[in-house]
Amino acid sequence: MKLSPKEILIPAAALLMICIVATTLLALTNSVTAQKIADMAAEKEIASRRVVLPDAASFGEQQSYETLNYCAALDSAGAEIGMVFTAAAKGYGGDVTVMVGIGADGKVTGIEILSHDETPGLGANSTKPEFKNRFVGKSGVLTVSKTSNEGQNVQAITAATITSKAVTSAVNEALSAYAAIKGGVSE
Amino acid sequence: MSEKKSIFGEFSKGILAENPVLRLVLGTCPTLATTTSVSSAVGMGAAASVVLVCSNIAISALRKVIPEKVRIPAYIVIIASFVTIVQMLVKAFLPELDESLGVYLPLIVVNCIILGRAEAFAGKNPVLASAADGLGMGVGFTAALFAMGAVREILGAGSFLGMSIPFLAENPMLIFILPPGGFFVFGMLMAVVNRLAEKRGKPRAELRGCEACPMAATCTLEAHEKGKNKSEKQCASEEGTN
Amino acid sequence: MEMTKELLAILLTAILTQNFVLSKFLGICPFLGVSKKLNTAVGMSAAVIFVMALATAATYPINLLLVQNDLAYLQTIVFILVIAALVQLVEIILKKYMPALYGALGIYLPLITTNCAVLGVVILNVDNGYGFAQSMFNSVGAGLGFMLAMVMFAGVRERLESCDVPKFMRGLPITLVAASLVSVSFLGFTGIVETIFG
Repeated sequence: MKLSPKEILIPAAALLMICIVATTLLALTNSVTAQKIADMAAEKEIASRRVVLPDAASFGEQQSYETLNYCAALDSAGAEIGMVFTAAAKGYGGDVTVMVGIGADGKVTGIEILSHDETPGLGANSTKPEFKNRFVGKSGVLTVSKTSNEGQNVQAITAATITSKAVTSAVNEALSAYAAIKGGVSE
Repeated sequence: MSEKKSIFGEFSKGILAENPVLRLVLGTCPTLATTTSVSSAVGMGAAASVVLVCSNIAISALRKVIPEKVRIPAYIVIIASFVTIVQMLVKAFLPELDESLGVYLPLIVVNCIILGRAEAFAGKNPVLASAADGLGMGVGFTAALFAMGAVREILGAGSFLGMSIPFLAENPMLIFILPPGGFFVFGMLMAVVNRLAEKRGKPRAELRGCEACPMAATCTLEAHEKGKNKSEKQCASEEGTN
Repeated sequence: MEMTKELLAILLTAILTQNFVLSKFLGICPFLGVSKKLNTAVGMSAAVIFVMALATAATYPINLLLVQNDLAYLQTIVFILVIAALVQLVEIILKKYMPALYGALGIYLPLITTNCAVLGVVILNVDNGYGFAQSMFNSVGAGLGFMLAMVMFAGVRERLESCDVPKFMRGLPITLVAASLVSVSFLGFTGIVETIFG
């Protein structure tokens, strides 16, 4: 099979031109949307923090502890009234990222599911308030139970025990990190 | 036939007579994967339609410039660019849709409908007709997804567009939004559509395997099974592409 | 040990609980189109495993490069071109140097360029933030899962051929309903990976 230079060069040049135009277009769109996407993510982050720790007036700098990110929650006078953690755990369809608010008394003030890949109608029910509210006011090491929501038990979502366990283990991680950080501070 | 009428014809054929999902059986992956709720089904349909119309217009406009040999890679680059643009816009302005479509949003690139229309229509027809064809196919695709999404959400989650339906909401048949429900609802929908088509004396929609695939022209499987060897030339012609 | 456990968990998840075809709906076209005969199903899946592994190995360093230069938005376009070029290249190399392998897999290769399962696994690896080893295990697992689904379904379809199906269900509808039942059987694997490695 013989190909003359012309037969190779013209198609290659045409394809190159198309690629250049396409890339330019993409770069343009990216420059318009990138900032917007970053802003949205930051906005969502702050909105979620307010949901999990509604009493806070502002939040401190983002810090990290082991694999977790956290920031201090401050009241209007600037005193610390709790912390907000972001923790992830393996669910049924992948990582479930949970934001956990912990008050000054060491109890959970609220949780928010930031991202998940769970089955719609089953694990995805973890984003519903009925489930998220089951964590409010809990402390210590939590365990998943099928029937009760008393004490340190967290009642699982029907037919989604794995997701419930994932969320609970993320909350436990946040609680133990809180205890460790607080322990370190008071020394 | 007047010019106007034929353009309307290009548009309307995609909705019923040549509906890409229900008659041509293309784009089955998103049809099954993104129809767990009406909103994500319609979102997927709309995103794919935008890409379809834009790429049809671009490919049709460039049809005389694109050399025959690098046709397919050129189409893929054009389609992928529009998909990425749509992806960035969805991320920036409709983050919830981005969340619910996930990996299926970038995968519009390999949606057979789009490359199929580029190869079968836009590469050979003028811009206006190609735009109408793309829009019609897009509307047909969205309508099929909407039907799937509605059945699955109503039966599987007991809601419609997120609004819960009394009785069904308390007793949802979860299996419908799980993967098996997708296959089942699609099968039933195809049975109904086939029945209606037969009544009107039209052929049933069949999975034609390779023929429906836009890569059929460059594919060697068909030729191999027929005992011919047309692969030699086609493979060679694609060598210079990348 | 921890690492091995994690890799095995990724592999099993990709094959069983998150089966590419039956729970993620990727690669449906070949699943329905090429599963009529067992030997075609096996050949096609072998080619898919091969290309998935190669595509992952090729796109992993490219993605690092893209991310380093703030060009992550070019991922989709670059990946699809890399996969398309790779498939062509593999076809040429196999044809020239390994004719036996080419005879077995070659005819399926062009089909795979626009197979959403290959692009899907590459994008999912990036989305999940997997490292190189994790990506490779996930890809091979996804390919093996594809093969398992194809082989099982080819068996089902061979039996379906001799069944007396109601007229309106013949052809595609009954095939989809059969796929639905195969998919139900995979729901049985729910939780198995967590139980073994939990």
